[in-house]
Amino acid sequence: MNAMDVESADGSALIRLRGEVDLSWSQQVRGAVLDALGKHPRVGVELSEVSYIDSSGIAALVEGLQKARTQGRGFALVAVSDAVRSVLELARLDRVFPIVADAGAIPDVTGTPAWKP
Amino acid sequence: MNALAAAPVTEAGASEARALAFLADLSQTLAVSLDLRETIDEAVVRIADFMQAEAASLFLLNDDGSALECRVCYGPVDLTGMRIEIGQGVVGRSVAENRALISANAQVDDRVDRAADEASGFVTRSLVCVPLATARGPIGALEVVNKRDGSVFGPADAEILRLVAAPTALAINNARMAHELIEQVRLKREFALARRLQKSLLPKRRRDAFPVLGVNLPAHEISGDFYDYFDLPDGRVGFFVGDVSGKGLDAALLMVRAASLLRWIGKDGTPPAEWLARANDDLCRTALDGRFVCALVGQCERDGGNVHFAGAGFPPALLHRDEGFTEYPSGGPPLGILPGIPFEPHALELGDGTLYCFSDGVTDVRDAARRTIGEQGVRELVTRHAGSSSGPRLRAMLGELKRMRLVDDTTLLLVERPSSRGHEVLLERRFPARPQAMRELRAALRGALDGAGIESGLRDRLVLAVDEACCNIIRHAYGDACAGDIDVRVLSEGNQFEFRLLDTAPVVDPACVKPKPLGEERAGGLGVALIDAVMDEWSLQARPDGRGNRLVMRKRVEARNQSGDDNE
Repeated sequence: MNAMDVESADGSALIRLRGEVDLSWSQQVRGAVLDALGKHPRVGVELSEVSYIDSSGIAALVEGLQKARTQGRGFALVAVSDAVRSVLELARLDRVFPIVADAGAIPDVTGTPAWKP
Repeated sequence: MNALAAAPVTEAGASEARALAFLADLSQTLAVSLDLRETIDEAVVRIADFMQAEAASLFLLNDDGSALECRVCYGPVDLTGMRIEIGQGVVGRSVAENRALISANAQVDDRVDRAADEASGFVTRSLVCVPLATARGPIGALEVVNKRDGSVFGPADAEILRLVAAPTALAINNARMAHELIEQVRLKREFALARRLQKSLLPKRRRDAFPVLGVNLPAHEISGDFYDYFDLPDGRVGFFVGDVSGKGLDAALLMVRAASLLRWIGKDGTPPAEWLARANDDLCRTALDGRFVCALVGQCERDGGNVHFAGAGFPPALLHRDEGFTEYPSGGPPLGILPGIPFEPHALELGDGTLYCFSDGVTDVRDAARRTIGEQGVRELVTRHAGSSSGPRLRAMLGELKRMRLVDDTTLLLVERPSSRGHEVLLERRFPARPQAMRELRAALRGALDGAGIESGLRDRLVLAVDEACCNIIRHAYGDACAGDIDVRVLSEGNQFEFRLLDTAPVVDPACVKPKPLGEERAGGLGVALIDAVMDEWSLQARPDGRGNRLVMRKRVEARNQSGDDNE
């Protein structure tokens, strides 16, 4: 089933999502991402247990990325599942987000992506 | 240290070096052996020589571990095949106590069983016996008898024999494990073969407009369930479905026999009650060792019209028509129990209805809470999938059952008027226009697309596109007044798939719905872009009566898994 928990330590927060991220709770995800960026210099969203994500879920992540950039925060997607990766690829956003293997690799500041469409 | 004391040390050193060389050599021989039997024979001779013994023998525990049996023997008397109880004699005690035993003077040692000596005339003077130890306890024993120079065995000999026994035990243990593994592989192969034979008895799906369709999913390698359908000489169609009690290979063989028998009796259109009675009498003529066969046999017209059928201890047939259910219980006991029994037939005019026959594996399927889904669960399953065409429906139902816990072989067979339409309805269902309903919608879509043989990557993209379309209807068409439904219908015609969504929301201006370029970091407008990327084409129109909108999306699917085989 769907679940979200937030861990924070050493100036970074990790938002762990599980289940199917869809319209029924993507607003909560958006709220948690923006809230974490307000409190922590580095924020990661862990997606290894996410089996589905729709455009409202992707939109919440896009907003997080934009806020991180304007406020000079670090933001990354962590351990992206195949299901999420294929939606990111379909939306051509797979090279827009910093994607890292584990929470330790979340960047300090999110810069302009290396590749733009 | 004086010279006198030094001599035995040197001698001991030399004998230790000799023992080590022998041990290394023996270990290597055993380790590389391809034929353990021969190698062990040779090893026992070499051990006897090395120990300077007149005789040596190797005992192994029998299969149930109750006694030891002499498997290899070297010496003047052949003890091969000799049985020794655990705890009996020096050998039995050595295994029971899992330690080396020495008898320096066997003639006066009470532990030594002298029966063999008395029978053969051989005189046992001195012996050493050590257990063949493994991690799971001793598997046998190794014994050497009488030193050739007439001296007696001592603790040093016992220690050397214990060292020698180690690689021997290891080699025997390894060989046994390898044998077990080979046996498992062989059994697996035989089960796979039995399953292939069974599957070859099940009919292939008919591509023509045909009124009967079945699927079978075995809970284990082999199944006790069967079904068949075939054309009758008078133009009608005969069908049967059955379930053999018990599991395993003998149940599988009875299944083969019952299926052939029912086919043989039914091929000429024998009326269902007589069909069962004859099969019952035939099965009763031979002992089934307490096994029996539950079956349902029937006939119907080619267009599905009149159906005649009879059951023998089979779960009730279920007629689903006009959103209602009627049960038809079996008219007699299972086959193969009592000869000469009559069976009560049923006859019905099918009309638009569908007659479902389920083996008890279906009602026994366990849900997430491990409860059986029962009659009620089966009816809900039928209702949920009622909109789609027979083939996709049966596959989607089976798919849903598979996601639960199968405890028994599961077979579904249905009889209905064959569709004259060129397309198949993969899904036709109404969902509430609420975000919380989308999870179920996606699951239903996945099931329908899986049933149509669409590869998982494309399936997921199609599910995403339909979900996005529904979310747009919920958010933008219905808006805040979120009280309405979305009618979802998925059709396939050849490789062309059509997804149609109907709503009753205020009419949307199609010009306002445009895809934004992908790849942009924008939080909004992504949904339509995703639909645009996944589907070949889509169109949004007001419904003709002006009440709501109609969105149709199309996708051509090139690669589809479309085997004629519905069985696992």
